[in-house]
Amino acid sequence: MEIDPTDHEIADLGPKIKDVDDADELREMLAAEEDGEDRAPVKTLIEDRLEKVAGEDEDVDPSDADLDDMTVADVANMVRDIEDIDVLEDLLERERDGQDRKTAKSQIEGRLDTLQDSDHESEDEDVVVEDPEEKYPDLDHPTADKKHVRALEDGDYRDMWVYCETQQGQLIDVSKEMLGKARGLMDEYNDEYGESESVVAVLIGDGVGELAEECVAYGADRVIYLEDERLGRFRHTPYTRIFCDMARNGGHPYGRDDRQEDDWRDYDEPRYTVFPATNNGRDLSALAQAEFDSGLASDCSDLFIEAADISNPAKTGKPGETVEFQRVLHMKRPDFSGFEYSTILCLDKPGREFHPQGASVIPGSFDVPGPDPEREGEVIEHEMPLEDDWFKVEVTDYDQLEGGVDLTGNEVVVALGRGIGEDPTEGIELGLDLVDQFEAADLGLSRGVITASYQFAGHVEQYVTEERQIGESGQVVEPDVYIAAGISGAVQHKVGMDESDTIIAINTDADADIVEFSDYYVQGDLFEILPELIDSLEKGELDIQALAGGASDD
Amino acid sequence: MTDDYEHYEAVVVGAGPGGAAAAATLAQNGVETLVLERGVESGSKNVSGGLIYAEESAPYTIDGLFPEFRSEASERPVTEYYLHNVAGRNVKTIDLTDLHEHDTTWSDAVLRRHMDSWLEGRVHEMTRETGGGLLTGVRVDGLLREAGEIVGVTCEELDPIKADAIIAADGVNSELARDAGLMDWEDPEEWFQGVKAIVDMPASAIAERFGVDEDEGVAHLFSGDLFEGVRGGGFLYTNDDSLSIGTVFHLDSLVAEAAEPHELLDALLTHPLLDQWLQGEYEELEYGAKLVPDSKKAANPSPHQGRLMLVGDAAGQMQAQGPIIKGMNHAVSAGALAAEAFSEAQTRGRPGEAGQRYETKLRDEGVMAKLRPTRYTVASAVGENGAVASVTDSLVDSPLGRLGIEAADRLGLLRRAFNSPFVMSVMPDTRTPYVTAPTAIAEALGTPVREENDVEPPDLADRIGDLTYDVGDPHIELRDNSFAASGAAVSACPVSAKDFGGGCYRDEKVKTNGHEEHLVSLDTQPCVECGTCAIVADTEWEHPAGGKGVEFEQG
Ligand SMILES: Cc1cc2nc3c(=O)[nH]c(=O)nc-3n(C[C@H](O)[C@H](O)[C@H](O)COP(=O)(O)OP(=O)(O)OC[C@H]3O[C@@H](n4cnc5c(N)ncnc54)[C@H](O)[C@@H]3O)c2cc1C
Ligand SMILES: Cc1cc2nc3c(=O)[nH]c(=O)nc-3n(C[C@H](O)[C@H](O)[C@H](O)COP(=O)(O)OP(=O)(O)OC[C@H]3O[C@@H](n4cnc5c(N)ncnc54)[C@H](O)[C@@H]3O)c2cc1C
Ligand code: SF4
Repeated sequence: MEIDPTDHEIADLGPKIKDVDDADELREMLAAEEDGEDRAPVKTLIEDRLEKVAGEDEDVDPSDADLDDMTVADVANMVRDIEDIDVLEDLLERERDGQDRKTAKSQIEGRLDTLQDSDHESEDEDVVVEDPEEKYPDLDHPTADKKHVRALEDGDYRDMWVYCETQQGQLIDVSKEMLGKARGLMDEYNDEYGESESVVAVLIGDGVGELAEECVAYGADRVIYLEDERLGRFRHTPYTRIFCDMARNGGHPYGRDDRQEDDWRDYDEPRYTVFPATNNGRDLSALAQAEFDSGLASDCSDLFIEAADISNPAKTGKPGETVEFQRVLHMKRPDFSGFEYSTILCLDKPGREFHPQGASVIPGSFDVPGPDPEREGEVIEHEMPLEDDWFKVEVTDYDQLEGGVDLTGNEVVVALGRGIGEDPTEGIELGLDLVDQFEAADLGLSRGVITASYQFAGHVEQYVTEERQIGESGQVVEPDVYIAAGISGAVQHKVGMDESDTIIAINTDADADIVEFSDYYVQGDLFEILPELIDSLEKGELDIQALAGGASDD
Repeated sequence: MTDDYEHYEAVVVGAGPGGAAAAATLAQNGVETLVLERGVESGSKNVSGGLIYAEESAPYTIDGLFPEFRSEASERPVTEYYLHNVAGRNVKTIDLTDLHEHDTTWSDAVLRRHMDSWLEGRVHEMTRETGGGLLTGVRVDGLLREAGEIVGVTCEELDPIKADAIIAADGVNSELARDAGLMDWEDPEEWFQGVKAIVDMPASAIAERFGVDEDEGVAHLFSGDLFEGVRGGGFLYTNDDSLSIGTVFHLDSLVAEAAEPHELLDALLTHPLLDQWLQGEYEELEYGAKLVPDSKKAANPSPHQGRLMLVGDAAGQMQAQGPIIKGMNHAVSAGALAAEAFSEAQTRGRPGEAGQRYETKLRDEGVMAKLRPTRYTVASAVGENGAVASVTDSLVDSPLGRLGIEAADRLGLLRRAFNSPFVMSVMPDTRTPYVTAPTAIAEALGTPVREENDVEPPDLADRIGDLTYDVGDPHIELRDNSFAASGAAVSACPVSAKDFGGGCYRDEKVKTNGHEEHLVSLDTQPCVECGTCAIVADTEWEHPAGGKGVEFEQG
C-alpha cells in the first residue's frame, strides 16, 4: 500500500487517490482506514474509487449501464456488441432523459439502424418507408393517437394537382416548371394505366384568373382559380382553407357542409398534389397536407410514378410478404448534407389512407417548358364564402425585397468587364445607355468588375452587385444578342453566356479568348466604340437584332 | 459556458503525413483519437514535389507505421538523382545519387491526393478501434480555451471539442500555431514557395525517355540562370505515369525580383534541356502551389504550449538540404514522437507533460539537429553577410573562379562538394549557391543543348480553369488594399499576375476625386490556398470552410 489514508487529510487524499488504479490496493486502504480513524467521508472516497476501478475491469452490462458515467466513445464501444433492439431502445430513451448527447444518440441509433436493416434486407435500399410507431414501439408517439384524423376511408383519388404560385401578377418560373413536369408524368401515367387523368392547376390570389390560359399553355388540362382582393398577399389561413375546399369534392366527410359537387369530376380528393418549395409554397404544402392527413415530401428534386414492391408489414399488413403498390409517386429529395438522395413514398396502410401523395419541388429542378398557346383546357372559377375570420391577421406594412436581378429572358444583354477600368463610372453609364436602346435588355457584368477596387459614382454604384454577374458562379443567360465589352472571356464567364444566339465582342486585344467564340468582333477601345454604337442605334442607322438574325451560329 | 462538449483523449488536426503518423501512433498506444481534416478527402488540399524519404537515422518512417505504404500509396522509387547546372543553353550535369542516398533507406515519388487518401483510410480504421475516427470536411478554426488554458479546438462545422492532447498537424499556415502564438506569418525570409505541374506521360514513354524499368525512377534538379536570378531551383520527378515538374524559391527573393512564379515554372518547362523528356508533347494535368517553411529559420525549437503540440510544417519542420527537400519525412517523425510523448505522459498520469517530453524527443532523436543545424547558424552569419556574399559571388564569376571550377571538376572535387550533406546543409541563402555558382559551373564546364523545346504550357487562365473549386465565402480579406502594403502578392501569388484580370490579386489604378490611387483588389475564387499572401500582403488570412475551396486531384 503506497498511500496510507490514515496519514492524510481528506483534502489531499482526493487528488492522490485518483492515481490508484489497483482494486486490491484500494481495498487495503479501506481496511486501514476502518482500523484506524474510520472517517466516513474518507471511506466513501475510497469506495467510490474502488467502484470505478473495479467497474472498468468488468464488461458493462448494457441494460444497466450508467450512461451518465460514460463518454461517447464508451457508448460507441458498448453498443457495437449489442444485438438486442430492445436494449438499444432502452439505452436511447435513457440517454434522451439523461444527458441527451447528440453524438451518443447517433451511435445508438446507428446501431439500431444496422440491426433493423439486416432485418429488412429484401427492401430496396432507396425506398424509405417510415413507420415510427412500428420502428420504435417503446417511444412516445404524440401523433399516434391523434384525435382528428381526417383521412378518407375508401376514398376515390384522381388527377395531379399543381399549386401555381404567382408574384406581382405573374406565374413564377417554378409554377411553369411544375406544370411541364406534371404534363409529362400524367401523359405517361395515362398511357401506362389506360386512364385519362388530368393535370389540374390551382391559382389563388388577387386577379389571378387572367393567368389561367397561361397555365393551360404550360400543360394544365383544367385550371381552378379563386380571386379576391384580400388575397393579394399570401396568408396561411385563407390560402389553406381555399386550397383544401377546392380539393375536397362536395359530400366530403370533413369538407364544407354546403359545398356543391363539382360537375367536372367524380372523385373525392386529388391523387397527387405538387407545390413549389418556395417560402409560401412550403408553408401551404405543409398546412394543406396536414389538413388532408396525408404526408409530404418536401424539397424534392425529381418525381416519377411507378409501382413499388413493399415488404414492410406496417404497410402491407402481411408480415413476410411483399406487395406491389401501384401508381406510387416517387419523390426524390436530397438529404440534409445535400450529397445523398432518398426517394420518399407516401403509401396507404391497412386502416388508414395516405392521399393525396404530396410533394414540394425545388425551383429549377425541371426545365421551363415551351408554352403552347394552342393548347385547350377548361377554366373553372371556384366559388366559396371567405370568412372574415380568416383575415383577422392584417398585413399593415411590407417591404419589397430588392427582387434580385433576373437577367434571363432578355433579348439583349450588354455585359461589361474590366475593360472599363480606365473610367469605371463612365463605363457603366455607357453600358446603361446601350441597354436603353433596346426593348428587353439589361446590364450584366463579369466577376472581374464586381470584385475590383473600382470606385463608382453614386448613381451607377447600385448596378455593380453580384446579382448582375454572369458565369459559373453567377447567372446563365441565352439572349438573342450578347454584347461583351472589355471582357476577356475566361471559361468561368463563358459558361454563363456562350449559348447566346449572337455574341458581339468589343475588345482592344485581338487575342482575347472571347474573340474565339464571338460571332462579331470589334477591335478597339470600348470608350470609343460604345458611344458610336449608341449613336448609330439612336439614329436608327444600325439594327443589331437584324444583324443577329443574319449571323451564322458557330 | 456549458461543459458538455465532446471529449476525446487526443485530437489531431490535419491528415497529411504528420497527422497520419501522429494518429496512427496514438491509436497503436490505445489512445482515443479524433482526426479532423478540412479537405473533402485527405490530400485534396495538399501539394508536394515530392519525394518522401525513409531516413536510416529517423526514429519513425512512414512504411514503419503503415507497412503497405510503398506498394499502395507511392509512385516510383528514385534510383537516380542528377543536378543540372544551367547557363543559357549550356548545361553541366552532376550525379548526386550519393547525396540522395546518404542516410536514405528508400525514397519514393508521391502524389499527395493518392497518398493522403490512402493514409486516410488506414488512419480511420486504426483510430476507430480506440473509440475515435477521422472526419473530413471539417475545418478547425481556433483553440478552445478555459481560464486561459488550451483545452480543445473549435470548428466551423461542429461544436467545440475538448481533448487532453491537441496535435496540430495542419500544415504550413497553421492557424492553430498562429492562434497559440507559436508561429508567425511575417517574414518572407523564413519561407519558400513551391509551384508544380503534373504532366501526363504514359509509363511506356517514361521507360523509354528516362531509361528506367517499372520499379525505377529518376529525379532531376535544375539550378542556374534560368529563373531570372531568383534564388531557388527546379525539379522533375517520375511518377508511375506522369511527371512532377516544379520549382521551389525563397519567398523573399521572389518578392524582391517581383517574379511571376508561373513564368519561372514555364521557363523550366520550356528549357531546351527538357526536350529529351517531353519531346514536344505536353499535357498538364494540374497546376498547384504551396508555401514551404525553411526549418533553418522557422522551426520552433519548442513547438508546444499546454496541451497543444505542433508537428510537421505547422511547426516549420521542413528541411531544405541544398536541393533535397525533406518535409514529409520529418512531419512523420514529429507526428509519431508527439503521439509517443502524450501516450507516455498519460500513462504516468501526467498528461500535461506531453509537450515537454515531445520537445525532448525531437532533440534526443536528432530531428531538431537536422532541422536547425548549428553549423548553419555559424555559416550563415558569414555567408549571408552582404559584403561576404558579393565577394564570393564575384569570385566564382571571375576568370580565376572559373579556372578554379575547372580544376575542381578535374579533381572530382565538385561532385564531392555537391554530394556532401555537410556542405549542402550549410549553404548560405545567397545567390551564390543557387544562381551564381551553378551558372559559372555551367559556363565553364557545360555542354550546349542542341534540341529545341517547343512545348506550350497553358496560360494562367487555363490553369485556373482546369482546377476544381467549390467556391465558398471569401477566406482572405485585405486589411490594407494599397499597392504598397499588399502589391507584392500580385506577382507572388501563383494564380495572379501583373496585367492579368483573372487572378486573385489584381493591380489597379483607381481615380478618386482627381487623384489616382494604386490599389490591389482580391477575389479568392481562383485561390489555390498556397499561403503566400498571408506573408507578403496585409491580410486577414484563414483557410476556407471544410470541403470548400480548391480541390487537387493529383497534389
Ligand atoms: C512544391 C513542393 C515540393 C515539395 N517537395 C517535397 C519533397 O520532395 N519531399 C518532402 O519531404 N517534402 C516536400 N515538400 C514539403 C512537404 O509537402 C511538406 O513538408 C509536408 O506536406 C508537411 O506535412 P504536414 O503533415 O506537416 O502538413 P500537410 O501535408 O500540409 O498536411 C496538413 C493537413 O492539414 C489540413 N488542415 C490544414 N488546416 C486545417 C484546419 N484548420 N482544419 C482541419 N484540417 C486542416 C490540410 O488540409 C492538410 O491535409 C514540398 C512542398 C512543396 C510545396
Ligand atoms: C471558381 C471561379 C468561378 C468564377 N466565376 C465567374 C463568373 O461566374 N463570372 C465571371 O465573369 N467570372 C468568373 N470567374 C472569374 C473569371 O475567371 C475571370 O477572372 C473574369 O471573368 C475576368 O473578368 P474580365 O473579363 O472582366 O477581366 P479581364 O480578364 O481582366 O479582361 C479584361 C478585358 O478587357 C480588355 N480591355 C481592356 N481595356 C479595354 C478597353 N478600353 N476597351 C475594350 N477592351 C478592353 C482586355 O483586353 C481584356 O480582354 C470565376 C473564377 C473562378 C476561379
Ligand atoms: S490568394 Fe494568397 S493563398 Fe490564394 S493562391 Fe494567391 S497567394 Fe496563395
